Amino acid sequence: MSAHPAYRPAYVGDGGLLDVAEAIAADWAALGVRGSFLARSIDTGEQLGFDVDEPVPLASVVKVPLALVALDRIATGNLDAARQVTVDPATSSVGPTGLAAFRHPATVAVGDLLLLMLSVSDNAAAEALLDLVEVEEVDARLRAWGCPGLRVRHRLNRMYECAAGAVGDDFSPALELAIHDDRSGRHTIETLDPAHANIGTATSLVDLLQRVWRDEIAHPDATAELRRLMETQVFTHRLASDLRADTLRVSGKTGTFLHLRHEIGVVESESGDRVAVAALTRSDRRAGLAPDIDLAIGIGARQAFEALRRRGGGQSVTPGHGSRRPWS
Amino acid sequence: MNCRVDLLAHLEAYVAAVDEASFTRAADRLGIAQPLLSRRIKTLEAHFGGLLFDRSRRQVTTTELGVLLLPYAQDVLDRAQRLRHVARSARESAVCAVGVPADCGPAALARVIRAGAERGTTIGVRELPPDERVSGLADGSLEYALVRVSPEHAALRVPLGLASAPPAHAPEGASRDPAGTRRRRPRPVHLEDLRPRRGRGTTREQRVPVPILTLAEDQVPSAQDRLGRAAARAGLPEGLVRPAGPMATALAETLAGRVTLLCAEPFARRHGAGWAPLGDGSLHRGCDVDAARRQQGGADVPGWLVTLLAAAAGAAATRPATAPPGAMGGEAPSRLAARG
Repeated sequence: MSAHPAYRPAYVGDGGLLDVAEAIAADWAALGVRGSFLARSIDTGEQLGFDVDEPVPLASVVKVPLALVALDRIATGNLDAARQVTVDPATSSVGPTGLAAFRHPATVAVGDLLLLMLSVSDNAAAEALLDLVEVEEVDARLRAWGCPGLRVRHRLNRMYECAAGAVGDDFSPALELAIHDDRSGRHTIETLDPAHANIGTATSLVDLLQRVWRDEIAHPDATAELRRLMETQVFTHRLASDLRADTLRVSGKTGTFLHLRHEIGVVESESGDRVAVAALTRSDRRAGLAPDIDLAIGIGARQAFEALRRRGGGQSVTPGHGSRRPWS
Repeated sequence: MNCRVDLLAHLEAYVAAVDEASFTRAADRLGIAQPLLSRRIKTLEAHFGGLLFDRSRRQVTTTELGVLLLPYAQDVLDRAQRLRHVARSARESAVCAVGVPADCGPAALARVIRAGAERGTTIGVRELPPDERVSGLADGSLEYALVRVSPEHAALRVPLGLASAPPAHAPEGASRDPAGTRRRRPRPVHLEDLRPRRGRGTTREQRVPVPILTLAEDQVPSAQDRLGRAAARAGLPEGLVRPAGPMATALAETLAGRVTLLCAEPFARRHGAGWAPLGDGSLHRGCDVDAARRQQGGADVPGWLVTLLAAAAGAAATRPATAPPGAMGGEAPSRLAARG
């Protein structure tokens, strides 16, 4: 069923973990999905996945590194979280949620722009933050922190501009163009071209999450606030779709653009297991909504979480280990 | 007389004048004016280099040359007449080739052939895939053909639906409709209803989407593209819609409940399958009856042929509602932006 029958992923993981990685890749292939998957135990470093070093256009996943850089500036006193920013929808970014969907100008504090950007993936909030923290600065900070494989090169609205510039204001042709370009390898929509897009690899994104959850990057106040904000995400249809339980917590950030369906996040259990996951997919599905693909990502995340948790072993005797917030 | 002169018309004038022994009566018989008849005979005399008639007396008489040439002239006219006969009967016995889809009912095609015979036309039906019907009209190997066009612009609309396994066990007697009782119209199928089911009470089979097979007749690029896109937008995985391959296998798998087959209702019924129309009329077949190119501008396709071909193809009398594709698209700009 896959359009790429000759495709063989490169796997990471050993023993039983490799079997899990292969099963996830097979499930995805059956749905016409290609991409990268990496799940890593934050505490043991054990991992499983495939095609983990392939650079992929990030779509809204880029809002995570952007938030970290902005939060680090706040934590180091270089940006005031209470600073008021007025966002006018007439001149702001296109998007379906948050300030981007507003019809009237609104004044919001920087700290709440971050909340809107990560909870509902608000494009206008991201644009407003990029007025304060330049694209170049985000990219430079990531390099300074040692995040190879992560590149931030353009603002959020550039994705819309490039897609609309290529085909006009019409979703279906843009989607078909993206699918076609993926097959031919020649990208008409610049923000889908790894040479020009905001990109990341599954490895670089899981590295970032692992360091954020272990306070090994940026200011600790920044990483703590990023963890809090990522937990507020309202979208549960993808990474969290098969991990919804009161005893589990999924903090994530989705990224959706044309044929791209991504999510990165951390799955934490009451028993103290912590697994960082990056699922970066592209598909040949000519549809905006593909719940079976979203669900396949969620099923993969659950399989990976359970496999890595079995390997970790014994942590369940210390409830709350590693979690920074008591479970309520 | 140069060679462009119509020798037959001139010989006709000459022979008629001999027969009637009068220029006036001969002109009457041929339905032409008498001066024209006289002129033709004069031209003919100039051509043969001698008089055919003696006009010196009150009663026109035939000259010796006129008598001598008469049987030869008669012979030329008779042969010309036979030539015309042969041409007409050859024309009448020629087969008029009509290109039709491969899934038409034999009984309906028989009605087309019989109706042609009643009108003196020998019709030969040719089962051909859609592209060969178009090329057959272009190269003249087909006189008429049902050609595929988009349902929005079609004169004939063939509702397409999904053939499936017949209901497991209709109660005894219920399967045989008493005369006068019409079969209940099947409810339309919507592609999004075919998504795998979840939840309690779903069988193992319902959790896996059932493939939709398409006949060669529906492997027209534009129609295929439209169906593929509609299936994707309805949340069905790519590859669920695929070509049927050999017909017997496809039907067997359909009747066994393993797949569904996209087809018109008469086709499904003929093979004992259940059938329900697709709710989206833009996915139905559109057809026009076209004539070969050399006929265009001249005689159109006869009305009786259109009617009978429509019935054979399973065309519906009414036009189904078609929603413009992407009607649910929502606000375009935000769909093109990064989402979520």
